[in-house]
Amino acid sequence: MSIEVKDLSFRYGKIQALDGVTVRLGEGAVGLLGPNGAGKSTLLRILLGFLVPERGEGRILDYDIRRDQAMIRRSVGYMPESDCFVAGMDAVTFTAYFGELSGMPRQEAMKRAHEVLFYVGLGEARYRLLDTYSAGMKQRLKLAQALVHDPKILFLDEPTSNLDPTGRAEVLELIRDISTHKSIQVILSSHILDDIESLCETVVILKQGRIAAEGRMDDLRAIQYNLYELRLRGEGGGFRKDLEAMGCRVEEMEDGLVKVYAAEASDPMDLFRAAARTGVQVRYFKKSQTSLEDLFAGVVGVD
Amino acid sequence: MATVREKGYSHWDGRLGERRFPCWPITRTGVQLAFKKKTFRFFFAMAYLAPFAALGGLYVSERLEDFKALVKSNKALLSIDPKYFLGFMTNWSALFGLTLVLVFAAAGLIADDLKHNSLQLYFSRPLRKRDYLAGKMAVIAFFVLALTALPYLILVVFKLIFAGNLKFLAAYPWLPLSIIGWSLLLTVFFAFYILLLSASSRSSRYVSILIFMTYLFSDALAGILWGIFNKNPFMWLFSLRANLQQAGAFLFGQKLPLAIPAGWSFAVLAGICVLSAAVLSRKIRGVEVIK
Repeated sequence: MSIEVKDLSFRYGKIQALDGVTVRLGEGAVGLLGPNGAGKSTLLRILLGFLVPERGEGRILDYDIRRDQAMIRRSVGYMPESDCFVAGMDAVTFTAYFGELSGMPRQEAMKRAHEVLFYVGLGEARYRLLDTYSAGMKQRLKLAQALVHDPKILFLDEPTSNLDPTGRAEVLELIRDISTHKSIQVILSSHILDDIESLCETVVILKQGRIAAEGRMDDLRAIQYNLYELRLRGEGGGFRKDLEAMGCRVEEMEDGLVKVYAAEASDPMDLFRAAARTGVQVRYFKKSQTSLEDLFAGVVGVD
Repeated sequence: MATVREKGYSHWDGRLGERRFPCWPITRTGVQLAFKKKTFRFFFAMAYLAPFAALGGLYVSERLEDFKALVKSNKALLSIDPKYFLGFMTNWSALFGLTLVLVFAAAGLIADDLKHNSLQLYFSRPLRKRDYLAGKMAVIAFFVLALTALPYLILVVFKLIFAGNLKFLAAYPWLPLSIIGWSLLLTVFFAFYILLLSASSRSSRYVSILIFMTYLFSDALAGILWGIFNKNPFMWLFSLRANLQQAGAFLFGQKLPLAIPAGWSFAVLAGICVLSAAVLSRKIRGVEVIK
C-alpha cells in the first residue's frame, strides 16, 4: 500500500475536521469525494505535513507522516486548489524554481521544466509572465510544478475548478494519462462527481470527517443497493408510498422516469407486486447501473 | 478533442539531493526579481552616491596640496578617521536611502507569496519554515551588505592605496570590524523589520507605505514625546532611526548622539527582532488555518 493512515483525527478549534479516519490506498487513481467541509483537503494537508494530526498515524511510501515529512515531500507532487504563482516570473523559471526547491540540480530543473511545460500544453507560452496567464493556463502550470521533480504520488486538490468545459476535458485527459501510463499514483480530491467517476478506479467518500464508504468503484456500486428505472401509467402516489414502506427510496425525474433505490437483497418482483396492489401499470422497467452520483447521494445522504 | 500534449512525459532519471542551504534558490530568485524592477535599479544605483562621495573625500584628503583651493575652510571635514565613516554610514539620508532600496526590493517578499497563495507550494517541498524565512532574510541581507559593508570596506582599501602605506589601518585596526558590525546590525534589524511588515498584508504597496510610515512616524513620535516630557532623551528610544544611530556610534567608538547608555537602543532593536520572529513564526504556514 502506498498510503496508509490509521485513526487520523484533526480539529480546527472546535470543529472536528477529521475523526478517526483509517484508510489504505493502493495503486492507480484514487478519488477523495465528499461535500464541502467533509475533510478532503484536511486529509491531503495532513498527508503533506502542512497540518499535524492530533491523533493517529500514517505512512506514505513507507515514510512516517510525522517524522519523515522531507522524504514524503520529495516523493510527492501537490497541486493546490487555489491559484498560486510567484509574481514577476515566467512559467519556465517558476517551474524550474520549484524543481530546484524539491532538490533537483539547477540545470536539470531548468531542462525538466521545459519538458513538463510542453507536456501540460504550455510549451508556446512558457516564456510569458505568469501574471498574464488565464485560469486554465494557471491550472496547467500548477500541474507542471507538481510534476517537475517526477513524483511517485500526485495529490490533486480540485484540479478542474474554475475551468471551462474544454479546459476541464483537457486537464482530465492529462490526469488520466498520468495515472494510467506514467506509473504515478494520483490522489484526486474533488466534489465534481463526473471527474472522479471518469478517472478513478477507487474512491474514498468522506462525510463530516469520517469515512462514509471506500473501495473499488465497481464494488461500491454493486454492494450498496439496486437501482431500477420505471415508467408508470396511472396514479403513482400509492405505489410510491408502498415502495417507501418497503424501505426503498423513490425519485421522480422531470421526464416522468421513476428511479427506485432498493436494498441489495430486494427482489425486483416486489416492485411489480406493489404496482399490482396500487393499480398502476409498469410500462417500462430496467435494472440500471448506479452512477457515482447515486452512490454519493446514497452514502452522504445528499440528493 | 485535440490532444493538449506536444511532447510526452518521461521520468526523470536523476536523484533528488539534500541541499546544504535549502534556502539558496529562494535568495537567488528574490535578488533576481528585485533587479527586474526599473525603479529598484534606479534607487539601488543612487544609493551608491554616498560611497562615491566618500571616495572623493578620501582621495582629496591624500592630495591636499593639489586641492588647496577646494578645501580651504573644510580641511577639518577631510580628516579621515572612524567618525568620517560613521558620518557617511549612519546619517539620516543614508538610512533613509537604504530603507527606500529595501522597500522596492523586499516589501513583497512575503506579501506577494500571501497574495498569490504560493506558501503552500513552498511548503509542499522539502523546505522548513526556517529555510523559507532564511531565504527571504538573505535577500535583505544581500542588499544591506551590498550597500554598507561592501562599499565601505572597499573604501578602507582605497584609503590605504591612496596613502601608499598602512598607517591608517595601524591607527584604527578595529575600523573594518566596526563597519562589519554596523552592517550586520542593520542586516539583522532590517531583515526582521521588513519581513514582519511584509507578512502583515497581502498587498506589497500597502507594505511599502507601512515601512515608510513606521520608520518616519517613529521618528516624529519620539520628537513629540521628547518635547512633551521635558526633553527626556529616553523618548528617542521610540525612534527607529535614533536607535540605529546610537548603536552605530557605539560600534564605531564615537560620542553617542543621545545622553543615554547605548544598551537601551540595542535592547529596543533586539526587542523588535524578537517580536518579529514571534509574529513571523505564527504567520507563515503552508495553509490558512481557520480557528
